[in-house]
Amino acid sequence: MNYKAVIGLEMHCELKSNSKVFSSAKNGYSEIPNEFVRPVDMAFPGSLPVVNKKCVKDALKMSLALNCTQPEYMYFDRKNYYYPDLPKGYQITQMESPVGINGKTIIELNGKEIPVYIHDIHLEEDAASLDHYYSTSCIDYNRAGVPLLELVTEPCLSSADEAVAFLEHMRSIYQFCDVSEGDTKKGQIRCDVNVSIMEEDDKEFGTRVEIKNVNSFGGVHDAIEYEIKRQSTLKREGRYNEVEQETRRWDEETQSTIHMRSKVDAVDYKYFVEPNIPKYKITKEWLEEIKKEIPELPLECKHKYMEKYGLSDYDASVIIKEKDYVDYYEECLSLGIDAKTGSNWLTTQILGEINHEEISLKDFYVTPKLLKQIVDATKEGTISSKQAKEIFLKSCTEKKEPKSYMSQENAQISDENELNQIVGSIMERSQTQIEQYKNGKTNLFDYFVGQVMKETRGKANPVLTKEIITKYLNS
Amino acid sequence: MKFLNKSIEEIHESLKNDEVTSQELVQESIQKSKELQEKCNAFVTIIEDAKGVSVTENLLSGIPYGVKDNYSTKDVLSTGSSNTLADYVPFFTATSVQHLKDAGAVMVNKTAMDEFGMGGTGTTAHTGVIRNPWDVTRMCAGSSSGSAAAVAYGVYPYALGSDTGDSIRKPAAYCGIVGYKPTYGLISRYGLFPFASSLDHCGVLTRSVRDAAIVVDTMKGQDKYDMTSWDSSSVHLFEATKKPLLGKKLCYIKELCDIKNFPDATDELKDHLANFFKTVELCKELGLEVEEVSIDQTLLNASASVYVVLSCAEATSNLSNLTGIIFGKRGEGNTWKEMMMDHRTKGFSPLIKRRFVIGSYVLQKENQERYFKNAARVRRLLVDTWKNLFQTYDAVILPVGIGPAKPLEGSKEMIGKMSEELQALDEHLQIGNFGGFPSITIPNGFVNGLPVGVNLTSNCKEDELLLNIAYHLESKMPYKGQTCEVKKNEL
Amino acid sequence: MSKFTKEMVDDYAKKLLISLTDEENKMVLDEFEYIDESINVINKIEGIEKVEPMTHTLDDFTFELREDEVEESIPIEELLRNADETDGREIEVVKVVGE
Repeated sequence: MNYKAVIGLEMHCELKSNSKVFSSAKNGYSEIPNEFVRPVDMAFPGSLPVVNKKCVKDALKMSLALNCTQPEYMYFDRKNYYYPDLPKGYQITQMESPVGINGKTIIELNGKEIPVYIHDIHLEEDAASLDHYYSTSCIDYNRAGVPLLELVTEPCLSSADEAVAFLEHMRSIYQFCDVSEGDTKKGQIRCDVNVSIMEEDDKEFGTRVEIKNVNSFGGVHDAIEYEIKRQSTLKREGRYNEVEQETRRWDEETQSTIHMRSKVDAVDYKYFVEPNIPKYKITKEWLEEIKKEIPELPLECKHKYMEKYGLSDYDASVIIKEKDYVDYYEECLSLGIDAKTGSNWLTTQILGEINHEEISLKDFYVTPKLLKQIVDATKEGTISSKQAKEIFLKSCTEKKEPKSYMSQENAQISDENELNQIVGSIMERSQTQIEQYKNGKTNLFDYFVGQVMKETRGKANPVLTKEIITKYLNS
Repeated sequence: MKFLNKSIEEIHESLKNDEVTSQELVQESIQKSKELQEKCNAFVTIIEDAKGVSVTENLLSGIPYGVKDNYSTKDVLSTGSSNTLADYVPFFTATSVQHLKDAGAVMVNKTAMDEFGMGGTGTTAHTGVIRNPWDVTRMCAGSSSGSAAAVAYGVYPYALGSDTGDSIRKPAAYCGIVGYKPTYGLISRYGLFPFASSLDHCGVLTRSVRDAAIVVDTMKGQDKYDMTSWDSSSVHLFEATKKPLLGKKLCYIKELCDIKNFPDATDELKDHLANFFKTVELCKELGLEVEEVSIDQTLLNASASVYVVLSCAEATSNLSNLTGIIFGKRGEGNTWKEMMMDHRTKGFSPLIKRRFVIGSYVLQKENQERYFKNAARVRRLLVDTWKNLFQTYDAVILPVGIGPAKPLEGSKEMIGKMSEELQALDEHLQIGNFGGFPSITIPNGFVNGLPVGVNLTSNCKEDELLLNIAYHLESKMPYKGQTCEVKKNEL
Repeated sequence: MSKFTKEMVDDYAKKLLISLTDEENKMVLDEFEYIDESINVINKIEGIEKVEPMTHTLDDFTFELREDEVEESIPIEELLRNADETDGREIEVVKVVGE
């Protein structure tokens, strides 16, 4: 028997900005420890937090994009606890008056649209990072004070797939709104997961287990699956009372969740309002301004691509996966590249190539402008589709404009006089075949084309070649 | 020739007229510091290699001054009078101190205080008990004890203090000098070691209202490093003291001033209150109306507990950075937790540790509503009550404390030692911190041969009006500029 | 019987990473009793629950947020000069394991 799973997510995402959220140190990654530090990042006595306007703006942008309610007055709270990576002994976060509450977003999974309800979204600071050695740990404060946006869903998800779909959906919204790179590899997204199970017709939720610090979407998926299985087994065996309200962690190595602490040992964070940051009035005007900066979100783009441009569900889904893809595609469209042609190039050749090269589409040599050279030449028939692919690859590796390959020796023979001569000499030595053709063996047409291609090592412009051959045969 | 027992304007004149050099003043100040250190233990650090500077038109240029040890001063030991920071040498200077430095003022010492400003006796500094220069068996009150002692002793014309409950204004009264805490946010708190951020104020101790105005004019200003500071470019305190009396009406609170409210009053309290009413008469002579108002006794009595709850709560969080990891002596232990615990247990005085426990208790999830939130609610009620008074009155005038400086003997600070009414009188200055009101204590006489003070408090951002009234009242009394060596009423 | 106990005080102290002597513990208990009584008085103030807790000293909303500009980082030798134990450019602590 299967039980119904109830899943809630807490998603932490690092925001993009020049400076940190409460200090003017650079917000960036560095191999050099403690390179981006201002006094408040290491909690030197007398230092004070000063709120970065851009971070508040981006947080509000996400709040609006997720259809949340924004507070009239925004302020921050202190979450008090001791840990070596937390220099102040408290984290500045938002508890009582977060940038957004009661939101909702629609995700798509297997062609089905599912609403996900947002409990709240709030702005906070990241902790320092610890480098562990044999018997010591070293503290690097570059990350201390980096802006984090934490999003908390209601317990409204029901499977690992849904949870991952939601996370991917959120990541692309962050990217689309240009508030975060959303790079899990760089640890920019980190999740806590809540899982409980219940009978299909139960009214009340089961015992909630929290899994902390899951740092990849795959990990989220596996942790949820594992936890559902663990809890279900216990329930099935009549040992559900052994499921306790606890915090566990996901262990990549053993692919299992491990007990961290029970609810009775839960830390009381003694939240209270941060007195050093005055209440800040969020005006309607500002919200209106921010709203204008929110671009078309992924699902909107997808609908547009399918309905307006006739792309398949699959292709449209691939394109909206990353903001970079959509940007690339939209540029193709604006350059006049045919919607389907552009989509084909992007979803097959281009994505294949950037995955192969492990680069970002933004850094990809063949920009939409260069792609257009290839697309146009194919359309005009100056190159074959096979050549188009070859030129594309050459252009990628040699970083030269596609055009340059079209005019060189490798390029197609499109000169009518040259082709006339070649076709002429082939026809002269193929009298027998011409006879047979004229007697009705019309499939010999391809023989003539083949001969031309053989002669030109495939470089003859096929359209022009066919035209000239037809002329000869009909003369 | 002694100069440092004079006013800032007088010293400036002497400098301009080449009667003395800045270097000579600095030497005199260091000499006086050493004397006082022997006598009262007022300093954490005496900056023996402090140098005189060239004198400009700025009134403060070339003149020595002292800084409470909870101000961050670049390259100069800054301990907050705590063992947790016994060796801490900051790499940055508090904004307000930097303003003084830019004006040419010369810092000659760091003054001892109650550890991190928490306490009102001057007995919890890691360097030992701070004594009152008027009578070394008495306390200076706290927490700006060393600053008060030094100014009263004539080490220099002013020293910086900080005030979370009454930490500038109470010691000023006990030491017979002026203590001024301006409106919250007038002076940047950047670089001030925090005690309770929503109550902490920077300020100054001087021997005259005008000197306080001159110093705060220089210390103040909006600071990009302190979000709670505000633009005060149109506020000119020194100028305000030159104007004719601007105030019209004052009030005092019956429940805090009426001797009938204190059936067990000591002689000192009786004299103190009688002396207060003499000052009220002087106000009337100045042309001010002074009215008696009545405030709900329950509310007044609640103030002390509100203060304890709020200040302890904020303090336990504010001082969580003191773990001996980034600064402070590294604790011993096999785990990070043991190391932090060792550092904190050895570093903090018993008083602070007790306050931490209280602060932590009132913030616990299950207690927060009953204690912390309700205290914050009463804070608003008290502030609203005072704001209501300011609708009618330019300032509230009240006696400071329950008499002159208390004896050091048996001074162990415990919450709840006094009757509620008496405690309300002893600690009403906290309301000035609750509301961020500008508040100034000036000396108004002697009880038992020791100085006592009177306090004036006005509405937020009415610092000019407050100092104007205080200046005129001060001018009616003979105590302006007094040091413990020269009682002005005995001149 | 008081609702405050020695064990409770010790537990709070432990969570604050401090330890108290028995004498200090006793003093905290006495202070708790006093504060609790005062809070009882506060709780009797009529309409107290409707009052908005005062969290900030000035609520006049004249404050501005900071523009997103980077300031120079503090030189490493200054950051580390008060730390007793360092390793290269970092603060060193005994190995941090678990919670």
